[in-house]
Amino acid sequence: MRSGHRKEALQFYLAIAPWLVGFILFTAGPMLISLWTSFTDWDLLTDPQWVGLENYRSLATDPTFIQSIKVTLAYTAAYVPLDLVGGLLLALLVRPRLRGIGIYRTIFYLPTVFSGVAFVVVWLWMLNPNGGLINLVLRWFGIEGPRWLLDPKYALWSLVMMSFWGWGRSMALYLGGMQSIPGELYEAAAMDGAGSFRQFFKITLPLLSPIIFFNLVLSIISTFQSFTSAFVATNGGPLDSTLFLVLYIYRQAFEYFHMGYAAALAWVLFAIILVLTLVLLRSQKFWVFYLGERNDR
Amino acid sequence: MKIIYRLSLVAIMLSLLLSACVANAPSTPPAADTTIVIRAGTGDGGDGLTPHQQIIQNFEDQNPNVIVQLEPVSGRDYYARLLTQLAAKAAPDIMQIGDDAVPSFVSKNAFVPLDTYLKGINFDPSIYLPGLLDPGKINGVQYLLPKDYSPLAVYYNKTLFDAASVPYPVEGWTWEDLLATAQKLTVKDASGNVTQWGIQLPAAWTTGFEYWVAAAGGSLISADGKTFTGVMDSPEVARAVQFYADLYNKYQVAPPPADMNAFGGGNSEFANGKAAMMIFGRWPQGGFKTNPNISLGVVAPPQDKVRANILFWGGFGIATSSSQPEIAFKYLSFVSGEPGAQVWKDWALPAVKSVADSSGLSADPIEGVWIGELNHLVPRAYTFTPYWNETADPALRKVLESVIIDPNADVTALLAQAATEAQAALDKLGK
Repeated sequence: MRSGHRKEALQFYLAIAPWLVGFILFTAGPMLISLWTSFTDWDLLTDPQWVGLENYRSLATDPTFIQSIKVTLAYTAAYVPLDLVGGLLLALLVRPRLRGIGIYRTIFYLPTVFSGVAFVVVWLWMLNPNGGLINLVLRWFGIEGPRWLLDPKYALWSLVMMSFWGWGRSMALYLGGMQSIPGELYEAAAMDGAGSFRQFFKITLPLLSPIIFFNLVLSIISTFQSFTSAFVATNGGPLDSTLFLVLYIYRQAFEYFHMGYAAALAWVLFAIILVLTLVLLRSQKFWVFYLGERNDR
Repeated sequence: MKIIYRLSLVAIMLSLLLSACVANAPSTPPAADTTIVIRAGTGDGGDGLTPHQQIIQNFEDQNPNVIVQLEPVSGRDYYARLLTQLAAKAAPDIMQIGDDAVPSFVSKNAFVPLDTYLKGINFDPSIYLPGLLDPGKINGVQYLLPKDYSPLAVYYNKTLFDAASVPYPVEGWTWEDLLATAQKLTVKDASGNVTQWGIQLPAAWTTGFEYWVAAAGGSLISADGKTFTGVMDSPEVARAVQFYADLYNKYQVAPPPADMNAFGGGNSEFANGKAAMMIFGRWPQGGFKTNPNISLGVVAPPQDKVRANILFWGGFGIATSSSQPEIAFKYLSFVSGEPGAQVWKDWALPAVKSVADSSGLSADPIEGVWIGELNHLVPRAYTFTPYWNETADPALRKVLESVIIDPNADVTALLAQAATEAQAALDKLGK
């Protein structure tokens, strides 16, 4: 039996070898190298100099880093709840099994499969303050629209608005979750006289909470890593009002060639995401309800 | 646990094998006995590659044993890619880079000093138009030779000038003349909406703004490259910023920016025949010449206290990692010399004086203006410190963005703050 076990183990490791090699080569290896790099001063070409904690120490006095953290937090705080509510509303909207509903589901989901750059360029055109579609339409109603991406008060919110196009992704997730809720529950509730609002808050929402949780974790991670829209549309401006942390990391690494400092920034980002994810995981037991779970907590 | 140990050994060996393959991949293909392959890296793309290919063809015709392999990487990652290739000793033999990247690449020991090679061919620096060798020179040593370049100039649309019976601007005009001309050419309709603008400006384009600073008699950094405070916030710089901002907000002769980035392609008033003038480099000129909205004229930028201009430049050098620098230099002197200029002249301004003269470009009413501007160049700020792009450039950008956005911005206070920020960043990097 022992040799059988060994054989099985061998087969197991052989089977996962492609993943294992990939993980070591492209994830674990680079991560370790970047951790080491974060303790050095390295311009890519001359040999890295060990500087200990110096990179992490200068973070504290770097006003641009602090600004980029503020921007990233503001964007996350605005985007994540909006994505949650927006995706949920869209899912409710396309939930009824009507004729041709598939077309609407496709339309709402479509923007998520577009290339990031292409879709930012389309928005750039729409947000152009002089001839763009949005201000043109506003002008029909006698409203002089803001200068959107050119105004530091509006630029970040313009990016938030652009990201609404990503609602289709969460819509698809919520829709899938809603369809797996047993119909008997609604029937029973209806029989007991619960209206559709009550049904939504007492049945749909609680049974959807694992999906909401999953989506929340994913969208927090991805919003903290926002890059494309600012890189293409604003390059962090005006007045650094859209300078996401990842954009600043890119700048330090590939425009100023401070690889060590950029690696330190990346590890700070990693730490923030890790802490937030852990907090969310811990909070699960207060609000996430799994069907089939015994209710004796 | 043994099995895991063994398997991880296998994994490590596999990974080593794989990484060996990766490391070998970019090297040149095995050459035939007598054929030498050299690689030329460029940040150009699209149509911009045609002159490269044509010059390479001409070179290969004359040197049948050499193959020049063009490696284009366009986009913002070009420098990062070059540096990683250099670190991996797999960089192209010939590398093309832009002006403000020269100090940083040279300080990273990326380029071979050309002096011995230049001596070997009895190189005559005067074959080039004035000022074109300087951007490739660090501490008196030549590292790169010029590819193409552009100073700034003012484009004007003769059709709009004629319609308003305003005389064309001529060299020697001043900032006051510019303002007066722009005001005459700004047209409003009955309800007060502007239908035609005086001059299209490049928003918060910091490098372009160095012209305004130099013309006002200011500079952005001390000559020793160590000080911003008291220099960047001097009254001369304040005057330049104020005048520039006033064109937008006080006099409203410039269309509000559709993009803060000069190369973002946001503003199109000049191209649409809705702006009478535009200050920029030579890059969009080809399109303007064939644009039916425009009857094109070009004039030197106006002067304030100083008659000044600045240069944008790209050049070629030999990578220190090159294993065949002699052959690379042979190609370098070809592409940057007269034979190369014969091809460039149809695409950009040629760097070689004899080509500019014999092709009639020096005497051309439009091209002659650009070439003549080479006599008025002032050194750009990046030449004084390798840290310009990460210290003062973002600070200056903020000032320009602020004054364009906010008509009531306090220019003096903004500049003082920018100089302090830039100084703090520089001191941190310099230590």
